[in-house]
Amino acid sequence: MTTTLPAPPRSAPAPGLGLARSLLRLHRSALWCWLLLVVALAAAMLWAYGPGYETAAADVQEQCRTDIEACHFPGGPWLSRYSATVALTTLVVSFLPLLVAAWAGAALVGRELENGTAHLAWTQSVSPARWLAAKLAVPALFVTVGAALLVPLHRLMWNGGGDLLWTDWFDAYGFRSNGPVALAYALCGLAVGVLAGLLTGRTLPALGVAVTVMFAITQLGDQYRPSMWPTVTVTGARSLSLPDQALQLDRGVITDDGLRIGNNMACSDADGSVADLRSCLAHSDLADVWATFHPRSHFWPLQLTESGIVLAVAALAATAAFVLLHRRTAAAGAAV
Amino acid sequence: MNRDGEGTALEAVGLGKRYRRRRGHVLRDCSFRLPAGRICALVGPNGTGKSTLLALAAGLTRPTEGTVRVLGTTPARARERFAYVAQAKPLPPQLTVAATLRLGAELNRARWDRTTAERIAYGPEYGRAYGPEYGDTAGRTAPDLDLDLDPGPDLVREGALRPGDRIRSLSGGQRTRVALALAFGKRPELMLLDEPMADLDPLARRELLGALLGEAAEHGTTIVMSSHVIAELEGVCDHLFLMGGGRIRLGGDPERLLAAHTLLTGPARDLSGHTVVESHGTGRQLTALIRTDHPPTDGWETAAPSLEELLLAHLRNPEAPDLFTEEPEKADEGDEAGPTGGTGDPGTTAATGVTGETGETGEENVRP
Repeated sequence: MTTTLPAPPRSAPAPGLGLARSLLRLHRSALWCWLLLVVALAAAMLWAYGPGYETAAADVQEQCRTDIEACHFPGGPWLSRYSATVALTTLVVSFLPLLVAAWAGAALVGRELENGTAHLAWTQSVSPARWLAAKLAVPALFVTVGAALLVPLHRLMWNGGGDLLWTDWFDAYGFRSNGPVALAYALCGLAVGVLAGLLTGRTLPALGVAVTVMFAITQLGDQYRPSMWPTVTVTGARSLSLPDQALQLDRGVITDDGLRIGNNMACSDADGSVADLRSCLAHSDLADVWATFHPRSHFWPLQLTESGIVLAVAALAATAAFVLLHRRTAAAGAAV
Repeated sequence: MNRDGEGTALEAVGLGKRYRRRRGHVLRDCSFRLPAGRICALVGPNGTGKSTLLALAAGLTRPTEGTVRVLGTTPARARERFAYVAQAKPLPPQLTVAATLRLGAELNRARWDRTTAERIAYGPEYGRAYGPEYGDTAGRTAPDLDLDLDPGPDLVREGALRPGDRIRSLSGGQRTRVALALAFGKRPELMLLDEPMADLDPLARRELLGALLGEAAEHGTTIVMSSHVIAELEGVCDHLFLMGGGRIRLGGDPERLLAAHTLLTGPARDLSGHTVVESHGTGRQLTALIRTDHPPTDGWETAAPSLEELLLAHLRNPEAPDLFTEEPEKADEGDEAGPTGGTGDPGTTAATGVTGETGETGEENVRP
């Protein structure tokens, strides 16, 4: 913020500002809870990234020095504390969209429609559409700020502890916590929650519907994630030694007739040497083997595609909310 | 009185509303016109659509048929210029009274009148008792405040609100005060109040009526108050709407409505030829409320009915024809809504059909 720019001349007070302030006033406790949650998560992840990781690593190293078995099966109180912190924070960050959806459905919209305070706002100088716009925009701002803080921290923690955690880049919870999809899902949760609140008009049903729908959306995302970006298919010896950290999706054989058979592990135990593979193929009347996978470099394309799709769903839900509200309330005072 | 030269505060043409889950119309063919500057009582039994009508006027729901116009325009366009207080007096329970008033200020930035809102919420003596920090900032100096800092019981009456009180801790009547404070603070041209008196004690009722009358006198505010208690609005309102069967059955100046009716008492006899609103007999004696400007003189004892008698008679007889002492002006637009005669000429409606029917009802009542 710079102070040298002169403030634009303003004849009338900006109405949106009052609406935003009233929204913060109404949901002050939710705002505090959100801040508290973000701070607690950030603190836990920072601990895990720095002192937690170092202590656990040193502890594991120390145990390895005294006991050879501990080198292969690392354990100990510090490692379990560290990995529990990582697992818990990842779980919370990856399920934040459900929390946002639950709050938006129940507290932000459902309760207000149930007890009539929404109608109170609509009969002040605020139109229902502007009311809804504020309900979406102000929380979206706070969700974005929170995600913008939590996601980089989570990436730091996740990538920093790779050697202790045995994490994969495609792990569902980790994937949903490590990039823009975290924000996309959270905003989608907000829109879905608001729509559920408007549809049901009551607190508890809105909570149930919002959480259920948002859970379904995240599960669909997990399930169809591999299809969101073109995969890589390799044949021959390269299919037996996929690049490091590849997400292998399918593997199969090509018969001498040129027929492609999926989900077939024949010759996959040939240990990568071309000669070994050739003898195995000849022995089994097969022409070649193949494997389909996502290399690690597909992390960002997958993140961005999924974010786009989820944001489109969010936009759809938000549009539906506006249309629904417009149809319910009297914009014209006349039957249409 | 009316600031826009428009002259109409509230107008409905063929208005109808049915809710999805309930069968049948809550409102049907409802047409009326309320001139600006009136204090209007909207009376009727429970469940006749008073709240629905007010919610439609406030733009909270969409009519199924017909139109409603508020202050000469649509409810949405008039939003800033009217105030609406719902029957349940919804307020955010987690806020304090002061925060609720601040909410009103934020949501009505263009026209919020803080002094008025605080006077309604905390009572007229509040500024004096607690100083300019909360309310009346006019003409109080520090020494006065020192003297008044410990208000006696005569200054702040029992049950008065304090700014720090949470809404959820308030009684029903206290919530009503806060809801009304929001309405007054908006400085509306039209107030739509759904059962504003229901939760108020007699003293608070009197204060509210005083405040409403003062507002109307000072600013020409049109006030529409619904109530199922007829008596509480008598003498206050200069316009009356009686709701029944999902429409307005009587509309107009109460004096003129009363003048259009006569209470007859006399030996039982045929009343056909008159519009009988209600008749009931005790033995050979018959008491009837008829609608006429020229009461029959042949042997009947005539009296002017009270407002309550008039309304109760209409409530007991749903067949009684509608009457408007002032015609809903642009009602011609609602031709398609015409056949049931809601907007029609009351004179012709009265003269045809219904008269004989009510006469029969009267005779039936006489025989036993």
